[in-house]
Amino acid sequence: MDPDSLAKAFVEHYYTLFDANRGALANLYQEGSMLTFEGQKIQGSQNIVAKLTSLPFQQCQHSITTVDCQPSGPAGGMLVFVSGNLQLAGEQHALKFSQMFHLMPTPQGSFYVFNDIFRLNYA
Amino acid sequence: MEEQAEMVGRAFVDHYYHLFDTERASLSSLYQPTSMLSFEGQKIFGVDDITSKLNQLPFDQCKHLISTVDSQPSSPTGGIVVFVSGSLQLPGEEHHLRFSQMFHLIPTPQGSFFLQNDIFRLNYG
Repeated sequence: MDPDSLAKAFVEHYYTLFDANRGALANLYQEGSMLTFEGQKIQGSQNIVAKLTSLPFQQCQHSITTVDCQPSGPAGGMLVFVSGNLQLAGEQHALKFSQMFHLMPTPQGSFYVFNDIFRLNYA
Repeated sequence: MEEQAEMVGRAFVDHYYHLFDTERASLSSLYQPTSMLSFEGQKIFGVDDITSKLNQLPFDQCKHLISTVDSQPSSPTGGIVVFVSGSLQLPGEEHHLRFSQMFHLIPTPQGSFFLQNDIFRLNYG
């Protein structure tokens, strides 16, 4: 699979999991993973998933507007830059967001999230 | 390592946008032959083509105003990923353009950093 298709596939998988079964995101992070969520820094799969599952909404739907990706270096990493909308149940207007992932390859031939930075885009 | 990433990220971003807004051609000092830029979906490789693209943007003057800067170490070898959001003011335009940008900084042997990866997107709506 070419890098752009890989990036798109990963992003779709990530947000599908997020929207359907947030706890399952644990498989996409490892102990050294870092998340910066609206400026708050969190490290490690357990802490990251605890943060994501405790966000103040039960249901949400991400819709992706743009996905850009570039290889990050000789270790086989991929940088993925996403923008889109986040619809929360009961809210009239969707929130706009941008998110950056740095994916690293696993020995099994897939990817995990090493760096994750999320920001809402306010008007 | 994380504190340092934040400090380096912030310093780099300030320097980058200062150069962009006052002396756009000298941005070439921040890129290398292996650098990549994705500008609104268009992919550009290498210092020369990247600098050409930035110099040919359809405005002579601009001012970047930074809202947020988030940085993290990207590898054990000293790389840093930096995520920026802000607005871009063009002369004569009443409304600012909102943008997000991602940089991947790689250390140089001389003790500074260069831009290996650069992704820029306007935030519409």
